[in-house]
Amino acid sequence: MALNGIQIFKMTPKKNCKECGCPTCMAFSMKVAQGAMDISACPHMSQDALDALSEATAPPMKTIKIGVGENEYTLGGETVLFRHEKTFVSKTRYAVALYTDMSDEEVEAKLAEIPKVDYERIGERMHVELVYVNCGEGADAAKYTALVEKAAGLNRTLVLGCSDPEIAKAALAVCKDSKPVLNGANASNYEAMSAVATEAGVVLGVSGKDLNELYDTVAALEKAGNKNLVLDVTGETVKETFANAVLVRRAAIQDEDRTFGYPSIVNLVKIAKGDKFMQASLASLFTAKYGSIVVMEEMTYAEALALYGLRQNVFTDPQKPMKVEPGIYPINGADENSLVLTTVDFALTYFVVSGELERSGVPCNLTISDAGGLSVLTSWAAGKFSGSTIASFIQEQVEPKVKCRKLVIPGKVAVLKGDIEAKLPGWEVIVGPREAVQLVKFLKDMKA
Amino acid sequence: MPFNQKPHKFNAKINTVTIGSGDKTVTLGGDCTFPFYTFDAPSENSPKVGVEISDMGMEGMSAGISAYYEGATTMAEIAKKAVEMEGADFLVLSLEGGDPNGADKSVDELISVVKEVADAVDFPLVVEGCKNVEKDAELLPKVADVLQGRNVLILSEKEENYKAIGAAAGLAYNQIVGAESAVDINLAKQLNVITTQLGVKPEKIVMNIGSAAAGYGYEYVVSTMDRIKGAALSQNDAMLQMPIITPVSSETYGVKEATASEADMPEWGSQDDRAVGMEVITAAADLAAGSDAVILRHPQSVKTIAKMIKELV
Amino acid sequence: MLIDRIFNGNDTVFGLTENAVNSAVEQHGAEKAVGFPHTAYCLPCYYAVTGVKVKTLGEMQEALKVIKSLMTREPKLDDALMSGVATALCAELIEALKYLDGAQPYEEPCYGHLADSVIRELGVPLVTGDIPGVAVILGSAPTAQEGVDLIKSYQKQGILVTLVGGIIDQAKELGLKMGYNVRIVPLGYDVTSVIHVVSVAIRAALIFGNVQPGDAGALLEYTAQRVPAFVNAFKPIDDVILAAGAGAIKLGFPVISNEDENIEPVPGALIAEPDVANFNKVSLEARNIKIKITEIDIPVAFASAFEGEIIRRGDMQVEFDGSRVDCCELVQTKEMSEIEDHKIEVIGPDVDEFEVGSKHSLAYVVEVAGKKMQPDFESVIERKFHNYINCVEGVYHTGQRDMFRIRISKEAYEAGFRLRHFGEVLYAQVKNEFDAVVDKCQVKIYSNPEDCKRIRHEVAIPTFDKRDARLDSLTDESVDVYYSCILCQAFSPSHVCVITPERLGLCGAVSWLDAKATHELDPAGPCQVVTKERPIDENLGAYEDVNEAVEKFSQGALKKVTLYSIMQDPMTSCGCFECICGIEPFSNGVVIANREYAGMTPLGMTFPEMASMTGGGVQTPGFMGHGKHFISSKKFMRAEGGIERIVWMPKELKETVAERLNKTAKELYGIDNFTDMIGDETVATDPETLVAFLTEHNHPALSMEPMM
Repeated sequence: MALNGIQIFKMTPKKNCKECGCPTCMAFSMKVAQGAMDISACPHMSQDALDALSEATAPPMKTIKIGVGENEYTLGGETVLFRHEKTFVSKTRYAVALYTDMSDEEVEAKLAEIPKVDYERIGERMHVELVYVNCGEGADAAKYTALVEKAAGLNRTLVLGCSDPEIAKAALAVCKDSKPVLNGANASNYEAMSAVATEAGVVLGVSGKDLNELYDTVAALEKAGNKNLVLDVTGETVKETFANAVLVRRAAIQDEDRTFGYPSIVNLVKIAKGDKFMQASLASLFTAKYGSIVVMEEMTYAEALALYGLRQNVFTDPQKPMKVEPGIYPINGADENSLVLTTVDFALTYFVVSGELERSGVPCNLTISDAGGLSVLTSWAAGKFSGSTIASFIQEQVEPKVKCRKLVIPGKVAVLKGDIEAKLPGWEVIVGPREAVQLVKFLKDMKA
Repeated sequence: MPFNQKPHKFNAKINTVTIGSGDKTVTLGGDCTFPFYTFDAPSENSPKVGVEISDMGMEGMSAGISAYYEGATTMAEIAKKAVEMEGADFLVLSLEGGDPNGADKSVDELISVVKEVADAVDFPLVVEGCKNVEKDAELLPKVADVLQGRNVLILSEKEENYKAIGAAAGLAYNQIVGAESAVDINLAKQLNVITTQLGVKPEKIVMNIGSAAAGYGYEYVVSTMDRIKGAALSQNDAMLQMPIITPVSSETYGVKEATASEADMPEWGSQDDRAVGMEVITAAADLAAGSDAVILRHPQSVKTIAKMIKELV
Repeated sequence: MLIDRIFNGNDTVFGLTENAVNSAVEQHGAEKAVGFPHTAYCLPCYYAVTGVKVKTLGEMQEALKVIKSLMTREPKLDDALMSGVATALCAELIEALKYLDGAQPYEEPCYGHLADSVIRELGVPLVTGDIPGVAVILGSAPTAQEGVDLIKSYQKQGILVTLVGGIIDQAKELGLKMGYNVRIVPLGYDVTSVIHVVSVAIRAALIFGNVQPGDAGALLEYTAQRVPAFVNAFKPIDDVILAAGAGAIKLGFPVISNEDENIEPVPGALIAEPDVANFNKVSLEARNIKIKITEIDIPVAFASAFEGEIIRRGDMQVEFDGSRVDCCELVQTKEMSEIEDHKIEVIGPDVDEFEVGSKHSLAYVVEVAGKKMQPDFESVIERKFHNYINCVEGVYHTGQRDMFRIRISKEAYEAGFRLRHFGEVLYAQVKNEFDAVVDKCQVKIYSNPEDCKRIRHEVAIPTFDKRDARLDSLTDESVDVYYSCILCQAFSPSHVCVITPERLGLCGAVSWLDAKATHELDPAGPCQVVTKERPIDENLGAYEDVNEAVEKFSQGALKKVTLYSIMQDPMTSCGCFECICGIEPFSNGVVIANREYAGMTPLGMTFPEMASMTGGGVQTPGFMGHGKHFISSKKFMRAEGGIERIVWMPKELKETVAERLNKTAKELYGIDNFTDMIGDETVATDPETLVAFLTEHNHPALSMEPMM
């Protein structure tokens, strides 16, 4: 049972020494209760208090780090099963798979394809973050290592799919500094695999023929001291894989069974080989339900645009809306003489409005001011989208760049018209429609 | 020590609603677990897939869709092809051409489309209005009238026009009422409450709780559905136990990721593939969150999603 | 007397029916099929009341026996009304006989029996209110003109009018266009043809109300509650008509008549109104029919797009300015009888008589009445006036109560906008938006300085004072119920506000009165009644029923809350709180920070840091979000000792609440100038300095029981 801030505070020295970095013991306690700081940051805690607290405040699911530098990713660390309860903290990471049984041409083609998807969406870089390198049966260390080296050339974090400790060791020799995942431990080889992974300092992926075997293997690895794990929950079928992914996560979070408190790997190549649209659908399913690493045969724009968009939506703070950068967004080839429209920086509003403006075909400048990421009416009510905020934004950001002096404001804030006109001499303020879907007609009528 | 799998059973279930008449029917809802949690209890009825066609014919359809319907020129021919699609459980006729801000077709013209399609196929049928609340209030009661006896799902009433559409579809002409709200559990519940107060029986209501394309505020869809399923099952909230139908294609074919031509966005590659990608990824997420039925357009999407459902239950 | 007449009329009709049925059997045999065309309900009225389908003449004879059994003769109203039903059922048999052998007994313009499809089609607009009522006009009006005027008055309101008897010829005589498409349906000349409209009401109950045939109780309940029909019967009223009228009354349809002989009114059921010109008004009121206003009768546009329009001095025709001269706006609750709906009076000179650019007095009083109207809603309605008047093109409104300013633009004036139009706007909007509580509404507009002065000082200001006093006197103990508010659940799914008179919503925007009004206006909406009948601990403000409500409305996320404690199960927050209070352990008190305050607090946390812990419907003991107004409440963390615990607030906030807070401190503890003892950012932003300050000022919190 998690402790609240007051309960934690009672165990602190109450000295306000600031050595933890917080101004007061109260502030520190509240942060620990939120999971934002670790209790060990306090140097003055008694051992008894520490013991009592670290058990109670330990997260139900471990946070596992893979990769290095800009390719470092955090997996796991979730505290809830549904995003409305609290933010999902670690995004699903997608891996594209390379196989030792692929021909050289196929490998080259894949290596050329992977970097093509690389774009930005609402401040986030969207690209293939992981490459899964699978060691097929019959491949030897030399062949596998060669493939791993090629994959490493992409400068993405690797997941090595290899259950032979010797081959794994050889492959890790060439890539361990980039902190790949070694996915290949099972009931029969876990001791050797764990030794290889531990020696290389990398995360170990564990699998089992069913959940019982997986559970026992994880328990054995933990007993041996390796808690740097991810669980490959891929089963024989789609149905089994989904059940595994859900049951493992639910056991960890709802039933507080810490043995399953690790991130997961779902390998779609195993359960939907050759069917790229099925893989896309399943990638979506496992993004929603508990896949930490999802392995696919390809990631082209056909998958990426929707999948990364979905992920960007799902892994957000349920209480904080997504925001877009304030600024001028020219649409349909607008120039400095094109009509100016303004709305808020709530991402959903921006997308809906810009989509409709694009549909209208009318060149126009959509200007977005900082409205705290709230919708039109909410930000208006909060005073973040007012006559003064709009006017000063237009004066500072828009007037130097745009010559047009016609400004369309959202119909829902028609009440601001007079105020903005008073504060923006020289501008004609036009009240637009209340809903974005009416924009096409509105612009058509305006032109007429 | 083996894994101790704790069961999470609920003593409540989602209502079942049957659409269609005669031996061509389809049933939505019926499960008592979160979607595809067959390990908690076996699924009683798997989610269903609808194929959407439009009174606007092939206008704006992506290449793969047009190719599938090649040779079909009348609405009757299009409808006949649609129901043959692999994985199709029901047919959805969208009357988007009625939108006063769009083609603004007359009610009479649309009703003749409805009749043509209904006469051509005996498949379970869903009819979608044009989304304009005033026009739908006029159009959908007439649709419910001319389809008497077919037990069709009428999509949808909204809070602004629920009386006209709810009373016509649910009371006067004995059809199924689709209740559409804007991605909010309380709005969804409120609409169900007032619709039942009108006299419509809960087992004649299917919810459309609102939808979005992946990437477009989709988090609200996930959370709203998660919460509705949670309240329906764990709180036994009878006003949230209606099955959920989610029109996917009407959202996904409205975003540039799916519609921008390859000429405009060469680096993005095949537009048809992107359209399918957006459609299946959004549909799979809808199903994962709790939709009991999804509405799709592309034959590849229908096939893929139907297969995914089959493999999951 | 009345009852005897009904019995007599019933007996007459029964005798006629018996003869007709028997002679039909003689002529055609008992096996002969009977029924109306295009209905699946046989003889719909008989079927609905008894659950038995009559399909042959022989079955009609059986039916007569059943009808006879309804005709009890105790001299009581109930027996009389039941005889009315029996009369109606007899009428149905007589009418059915007219359709023997596929006959078409009715010809233009009369309709007779109406098909099921008509009822399905008619049912929808009846349910939506597009057809707000059904009028049954029976007999001949004193003059044809009066009759036609009455029909037209209903037609204009969208009411479906059915005609029986002489009124049909009167309408024909004046060339009135009739027919189903214009919502004027002549049924027939015989009084028995009235059964065809009764049949409509009854089949509506079967189709739209899911009433089971034979369930007479459910049937009568449905027609009484859901079928907004009424009868206008012209004199002379004979016993037969009276008996039929009793049937209508039993179905819940009031009968309004100009008959003045041999008749005694029954309140709400049989209403005497000598003047036919008043039938419309009396009927609508008796049946509680409200007519939707679709267009506001003003010469300029009315839309929210004009809400933000500002009329500059140069563009202004005239202005009314409460800060300089006497002005006021007011809603007053009246008795139903005191109000003539849609009456708009302008008392004093109109805008034409004012010089361009001049400043004047104005007072407008909107008088409302309604069965569910409560004086508590007056201010809720009044607060919307600003928005209503601003939506008028070329008119600008700011302020409220007696401190508003209105400007009318030259353009609006030239388009014909006059003072009366304020009344039209207010009337239409109040009736439309508050139709759940306002049944009747009239507007008085005063423009004489003397009238305005009198209304302002003698009526308005005392009313405002009374309302303020009422607000001040409202305590959590003085009301029976609280309200939940889940307006914020869209982004804070598990949060529920429990709103009490002394604790408004933590956003600061929803008071108990607002919540109450919201609930009345939108019963399925975001504000629901929360009872507090089963206390667990009154000091904490813990109630079993409050907990149940919170659990229900948070979909199980939250199990219990206390109303008055921040330590034990404190109320949750959505995230839109104006302020947050948090426990400050070193001074044994609480620190309050408001949203506008950007600096550090002695807790070592800023407002955003505190907000991140308290939002989202999470219970965080020791911390709580609340509105500014709540700080001076006697219920503010009462369980922990109340406002005495407040040790620190940002200076600006302290100044805002000082007056009220000091008053509460004086009342509760006898402390003068309590706010002087409370620290702010100019004194301390760390606990040590704060404690030193509090010690110096002898702050009471220091000597109170420890909070934890």
